[in-house]
Amino acid sequence: MSEHIEFEEEEFNTRFSGQTIRRLASLLRPYALWVIGFLSMVMMVSGLDSYFTYLSKRMVDEGISAGNWGMLLQIVEQYAALILIQAVAVFGFIWLAGILGERIRYDLRQTLFNHLQELSLTYYNRTPVGWIISRVTSDTDRVAELVTWGLLDVTWSSFNIITALFFMWQISWQLTLIVMVIVPIIIVVATFFQKRIIVQYREVRKVNSKITGAYNETITGVRVIKALDREEANLREFGKLTGEMYQAGYRAAWYSALFLPTVQLISAVAIVSIVTYAGVTVNNNGLSVGGMYAFISYVLFMVWPVQEMARVFAEMQQAVASGERIFSLIDAVPDIVDKPGAYDVDHLRGDIVFEHVDFQYEEGKPILCDFNLHVRHGETIALVGPTGGGKSTIVNLLCRFFEPTGGRIMLSGHDYTDLTQHAIQSRIGMVLQTPHLFSGTIRENIRYGRLEASDQEVEEAAKLAGAHAFIEKLEKGYEEQVGEGGVLLSTGQKQLLSLARAVLAKPDIFIMDEATASVDTLTEALIQQGMDTLMKECTSFVIAHRLSTIRNATRILVIEDGRIKEMGTHRELLKLGGHYHRLYTQQFRQEVVTQVDELATLLADIDMSAVEDASAPPADGRTNGKVTVDLAFAD
Amino acid sequence: MLNSTAQPITQPELDLKETIGAGKLRGFWKLMTGFRGKYLVSTVSMGVAAIMNTVTFLLLAAFVDHFMVGGDRTIPLAVYVAGFLGLAIVQAGATFNSRRLAAKTAEGIARRIREYIYDHIQRLSFTYHDKTQTGELIQRATSDIDTIRRFFADQAIEAGRIVMLFVVNFIAIYLLDWRLAWFSVIIVPIVMVISLFFFRRVEKAYEAYQTQEAKLSSTLQENLSGVRVVKAFARQEYEENKFDVENKEKYRRGRHLLLMHALFWPITDIMCAGQMLGGFLFAGWLTITGEITLGTYVAYAGLVVWIIWPLRNLGRLIVQMSESLVSFGRISEVVKEEREPVLEGSVRTDQPVKGEIIFEDVHFAYAGTDRSALHGVSFRVQPGQSVALIGGTGSGKSSLVNLLPRFYEYTSGRILLDGVELKEYPRHYLRRQIGIVEQEPFLFSRTVRDNITYGVTRAVPDDEVEAAARAAAIHEVILNKLPQGYDTLVGERGITLSGGQKQRVAIARTLLKDPRILILDDSTSAVDFETEAEIRQALRTLMQGRTTFIIAHRIQSVMDADLILVLEHGRIVQRGAHQELVEQDGIYRRIYLAQTRLEAELEEELSRV
Repeated sequence: MSEHIEFEEEEFNTRFSGQTIRRLASLLRPYALWVIGFLSMVMMVSGLDSYFTYLSKRMVDEGISAGNWGMLLQIVEQYAALILIQAVAVFGFIWLAGILGERIRYDLRQTLFNHLQELSLTYYNRTPVGWIISRVTSDTDRVAELVTWGLLDVTWSSFNIITALFFMWQISWQLTLIVMVIVPIIIVVATFFQKRIIVQYREVRKVNSKITGAYNETITGVRVIKALDREEANLREFGKLTGEMYQAGYRAAWYSALFLPTVQLISAVAIVSIVTYAGVTVNNNGLSVGGMYAFISYVLFMVWPVQEMARVFAEMQQAVASGERIFSLIDAVPDIVDKPGAYDVDHLRGDIVFEHVDFQYEEGKPILCDFNLHVRHGETIALVGPTGGGKSTIVNLLCRFFEPTGGRIMLSGHDYTDLTQHAIQSRIGMVLQTPHLFSGTIRENIRYGRLEASDQEVEEAAKLAGAHAFIEKLEKGYEEQVGEGGVLLSTGQKQLLSLARAVLAKPDIFIMDEATASVDTLTEALIQQGMDTLMKECTSFVIAHRLSTIRNATRILVIEDGRIKEMGTHRELLKLGGHYHRLYTQQFRQEVVTQVDELATLLADIDMSAVEDASAPPADGRTNGKVTVDLAFAD
Repeated sequence: MLNSTAQPITQPELDLKETIGAGKLRGFWKLMTGFRGKYLVSTVSMGVAAIMNTVTFLLLAAFVDHFMVGGDRTIPLAVYVAGFLGLAIVQAGATFNSRRLAAKTAEGIARRIREYIYDHIQRLSFTYHDKTQTGELIQRATSDIDTIRRFFADQAIEAGRIVMLFVVNFIAIYLLDWRLAWFSVIIVPIVMVISLFFFRRVEKAYEAYQTQEAKLSSTLQENLSGVRVVKAFARQEYEENKFDVENKEKYRRGRHLLLMHALFWPITDIMCAGQMLGGFLFAGWLTITGEITLGTYVAYAGLVVWIIWPLRNLGRLIVQMSESLVSFGRISEVVKEEREPVLEGSVRTDQPVKGEIIFEDVHFAYAGTDRSALHGVSFRVQPGQSVALIGGTGSGKSSLVNLLPRFYEYTSGRILLDGVELKEYPRHYLRRQIGIVEQEPFLFSRTVRDNITYGVTRAVPDDEVEAAARAAAIHEVILNKLPQGYDTLVGERGITLSGGQKQRVAIARTLLKDPRILILDDSTSAVDFETEAEIRQALRTLMQGRTTFIIAHRIQSVMDADLILVLEHGRIVQRGAHQELVEQDGIYRRIYLAQTRLEAELEEELSRV
């Protein structure tokens, strides 16, 4: 819990770190030509915007005021041609900057994703998944926006102001000097507002996530709320949240609403100065009508580039923070890397030896101390003991998801840190407590165990694992979609599929973390069958919860507080009358409960089918189920 | 000025249900009840701002014609300057006022919908919640409401502004010279049609892009949560390729979206700029031929900008506004659902019930199914007695107890509570009389203390909370095991309690509520002996003097019950006390024997070694 606090979202106290900015810039290096391309196009567009106003001035002064129709036409022709050129440039910069943005998004995401595949479980244990997802999605978006559109907007804005000042200077340098006073004022005001607006929107997002949380909790807990008759109190509490939201939203809108009029008011002062100047100098060849018109247009327009710049600079702080977080992810070093000269082996069908293994996730909090274990090939080891006692740690060490901090682990006579990770992990079959499936078809999920397996082999594995029967009954059989994370299947079915996946992988070492959630008796019998198939071929480690598994293991390890408290066969351990004895009785009683429910359901079903069709024998599945139950009882 | 908003708004009561039947546009109009005045002022202010903007240019025309060209100085420069300044101030004030009031309206309307939907959700029936997905409902309650907020805050106002700018400036130019006015709007219908067409397609392309983004995230999410599987099968490369496929697809869709933007903007640029230039030329010709003055030309050049350029955005706004209608429709669907009438019922009393319950031939089927969950159930319980329900999955145990707080309504037969039909009791009253302890109780993400007091509305002194916790055998755990004792945050955002701990918190919660009728789900999760004994003791305390229904999972917990009902497919197949049932041949005896045998086996196994 405390570890997660440092990952709280939205910390913006970051100062601009030069290094991060340099690194952000380096993202663009491979695309230097693209950048030059879109920047030059946007400068052209921006410069033309300013020039158009100047042309309008010339139309007024040299064409219309002078009554020179030919001159007017000439200027209009030039203007029209430039409009076409500008349109081409607009197309160019949208296309170039946009594509570049998409490319950078693509590159960053792929880099991050690939890097994530290399990182060790230690990283995943201390980093919430949600945090990583934000890095890969929203942070890459922000960075890509900054280095393309952000850069583009700033270039457009600054170039627009510079060119506008240049043309104004051509018309009247005295007046330009006066107007130039307001530019910094507008910049300061704009920055002031943008900062506040961003702070307010952050507040809105914060309250919004609270509101979403409240909705979520109310919907998932609605039955309790009704049972406790809590609706009115809840509504009062929620009313406070919506009040906060109203305030935050209104404040944000208030600042936004005030921003534009304020800036316009400042430019109005500039316009008044222009008019005054024009009025005062009208008698001694001062500002022409076209000149005044151009000045007013420039000042009115100047609001936009300034606003854009203020916006980009305000957002830049966030984007740089995003960049920093992305780089911190990229810079995270995997804890486990193959040694130079690490090698592969033909198989790992040999003994597994833990020699004086120490392990700790955190300095000073040892999980395993001087752990010793020698497992002969083909043995089935059941790991039992309380949660947090160290069962999973042993399995994780065996898979080399973590490496021992002291001692060593030998696989078939090799110190496993001398082998490549691939050598070890490609020979392990694993079934997790909460089986994880990937969206896609059933066939794709089983094939995950061995990518080059033929359709026939996939089905063979499913049969061995006892999954074939239920797959056949599905409408599309092996081509049925499992849904995201396998939501369309039951827990039992997911477990059968992950067993089939492990069977297909033909592992040398099989690891299973048994589910604590109860599945129906029939499925459980099938799971048992699948496990037996695998255990025959492999050396197996099972984090066991079911009595039958525990009883059938060649050895049982009772793990508590990071140590082997007791080790032996079922009978030996019972005789000891210690930890195992206690755990076993407890587990037994738990199983009795599920069996009573199960039995009641079964008996009811049998009664029902007897009523419905007295002559017909009970349906297949039911008979199987009953046999299993009876077997379990007789066991 | 800003601080005045800190007070909660006082809202007129508005039953959203009334707005729903009204059709979408009228629905929006009704949503504005109580805010129409503000919104009207907002619209008028916007009009004022548009007019001030136009008048500024007209004043400029006068300045050029009289002061600069004509040399007529009867009106001094200071007056012009004051005019410009005054117009700017009025314009700025009006703009601010318009935006501010629009925001106030939008936030107020959104707040009202949020609260209504929230209350609505918690008052919809179990039947509704059974068939509705959480994510779907949250989506409607958050992003759909936000879409409506944006409609009032930005889109409607912005669309109104564009239309008003168009009208005001068109009239102004028309007054300057009618030919110029008509000439300047030639392009308008074309740009409108193009932009409407374009934004409809952009909307689709953008949706496709977002869908792909969601797909990419879920691929990532799946990879991250399955990291152990990926590593265990050494499938890193395979995963990288999978991600790459989705990532490329997103790039492709992004490019498609961009292409449309890269075409739309320059094409409409050419059209709008061309129209403007044409206008300049035409107006220039009129000036040279003396039909209009130079000042008129300058005013025209300033005004025509406000007719042409904003129009390009109108298409976008129209498309976005039509989306708001879709959101409104989605919210309506929720609002249309009937609330549970919690106060309905003829019984009017504050006295607690005694707790005598009689079921008479009760039938019940869940809505939308034809299979009945309960089939002619009849039995009677005296106040303070306990009834144990035993039976397999789908036997009707939960359905039976769910009828008591009227979570569902039985389809026929009668249930009498203290001699009065259950349907006569308001649900509100009834639920105060009934306490429920579930198998895996739901705790809210707030402190342990708040969870314990969750069921009572009055302020509860600390010693009373602790007494309840002590009786529920959870006090020691809270003090010794939880980092901040009673103030420890639990649930989704806090620490996770074990099943047994949650159950005891729920027992404490129910003890404080002090109901006359109790419903217990008696499956203790895997806990050790001592804890189990403690929980049993706590339950016994809880049951004292209350009519209790126990959903039983083992024989031990039903043995003491006054009445045992054995259920099968919604029927009572056996009833009686433990001793009677054991002596009868039937399902109860078989379960009893099976369990005894299992336990005997254990005993034997343990003694054998």
